Amino acid sequence: MNKFHLTEDQQDCLQELINVAMGQASDQLARYLDTFVYLKVPSIESVDAKELLQSLSQQKNTMAIVSQGFFGYEGIRGEALLAYQEEDSGRISDLLGYEPGELSKDEQLIDISSILTTTFLNVFATQIDNQMSYNAPKLLPSVQNSLSEHLQQMTFNWDLALKVNINYQVTDYSFNCNMILLIPETAIVNIKNVLDRILAEF
Amino acid sequence: MLDFESLTSSVSTEKLTLNESVFEQINKQIANQLNTGIMVLDSEFNIVVWNRFLQIHTDKVSVDILGKSIFHAFPELPERWLIRKLASVLQLNTPTFCSWEQRHHLFELPHTRPITTDSEFMAQNCTFLPIEDDSQQKFICILIEDVTDVCHYQSQLQKTLDELATMSRIDGLTQIYNRRHWQESLKQEFAKAHRHDKKLSLIMLDLDYFKLLNDNYGHQCGDMVLIEVSALISALLRVEDIFGRYGGEEFAIVLPETNLMGAIELAERICRKVAATSLVYNNERLEVTISLGVAQLSSYESSYEALITHADSALYQAKAKGRNQVCSAKCDETSILD
Repeated sequence: MNKFHLTEDQQDCLQELINVAMGQASDQLARYLDTFVYLKVPSIESVDAKELLQSLSQQKNTMAIVSQGFFGYEGIRGEALLAYQEEDSGRISDLLGYEPGELSKDEQLIDISSILTTTFLNVFATQIDNQMSYNAPKLLPSVQNSLSEHLQQMTFNWDLALKVNINYQVTDYSFNCNMILLIPETAIVNIKNVLDRILAEF
Repeated sequence: MLDFESLTSSVSTEKLTLNESVFEQINKQIANQLNTGIMVLDSEFNIVVWNRFLQIHTDKVSVDILGKSIFHAFPELPERWLIRKLASVLQLNTPTFCSWEQRHHLFELPHTRPITTDSEFMAQNCTFLPIEDDSQQKFICILIEDVTDVCHYQSQLQKTLDELATMSRIDGLTQIYNRRHWQESLKQEFAKAHRHDKKLSLIMLDLDYFKLLNDNYGHQCGDMVLIEVSALISALLRVEDIFGRYGGEEFAIVLPETNLMGAIELAERICRKVAATSLVYNNERLEVTISLGVAQLSSYESSYEALITHADSALYQAKAKGRNQVCSAKCDETSILD
């Protein structure tokens, strides 16, 4: 346990905030996409960079990863990674309500990623009286091993990261993807301050 | 347009009126001097605000633009797709993006480097932001960044990378595959043939008396012969055959889905073709011949190196038997030409 780890109270508080945000986000998404969006209870863990690299590179069949940076007030920032499996992304243009020829596969992935990330984080930001801005989402080049490479090249240096794993499922379109929010060390301290403030207000 | 909230909040109410108008002027000037296009749409997608950047680049006047539907003002926009995208901004209250990497441009705008780049229109990164006024009326702000430079350099870089990738596979002199790439391909074909139980044959060939040619006519002549013979052979191959320079004057051809008979037939055709073609160097006719060794992959060979060894020893036999001929590894069958 060091200053970057969440206490049990902080962890519970964050879990609760994320659960509420997820509920609202999935409701908004369902209305926009006109279909049910299932979200599993997210897992939150502190991971060190090495472990994270390992667990991510073990995920097989990952076809594409889209990365989008986010930043808000009070030093809350991080990067959202959305990982897609080959078999789960055949009908994204359908899901988004586009005609098949209207956009490329890459653009479909980027569009759905951006929608999932920003919808969730906007709601989450409201929960903590914050407001998020976003970078344009980027499709990471050739997935093979590139995820670990990408993590190594990330602009911020970190040994420890807060990893929030959220699974989105849209069964009507056999769509499934994983959102991983990576929050670097320095931003973890800022999140802890925010959590402490919320806990104190109870 | 810009957020001066933090500044205004610290100013006393007395000064606020004055400052607000100053801030407004500053905002307006910044918006008009930015090298980014700014456009604001109402929830019906009519243009309500645009900045100087767009005025100048579209060469249109505000009267014709403001109050008009964006699809009316810019008929080049993909309407159905963009309506869906704009709807997500309004409905989810989230920003959305459109990068030049997926779509080179949305708006057909000229750019400032028409001579030094090859794209007709300005490459753009577009951002669509949800905004709300005090009465909670919803708007969409579209930011249009000129990324023609980025796009240009990225495509130059890609071109260079492609060239490098080609160069790393090609033998500089003969323009056929180099040893490294050829061997990598053989390795893959070997694995494929093994897995799917397919036939695979290999031809190794060598120029006869090449050292003598170099000694008598010089290395430039030798180079010419290597180039000409490579071209002669290339013309006789199928697309799927993998032809490479193995080393010095030695060449090799991987023949996927080909049995020994087929490979021998091809080898003989190559042998005849080279012998029948007379090459000319400094007005002198050169009689160039080659020797070829052929081998077919058999089930007991566990490595591609073994296949090379077999074809190589057949080539050695062809040399020993007097050159300008084909020998095959398996049945010790020879066919002598002329």
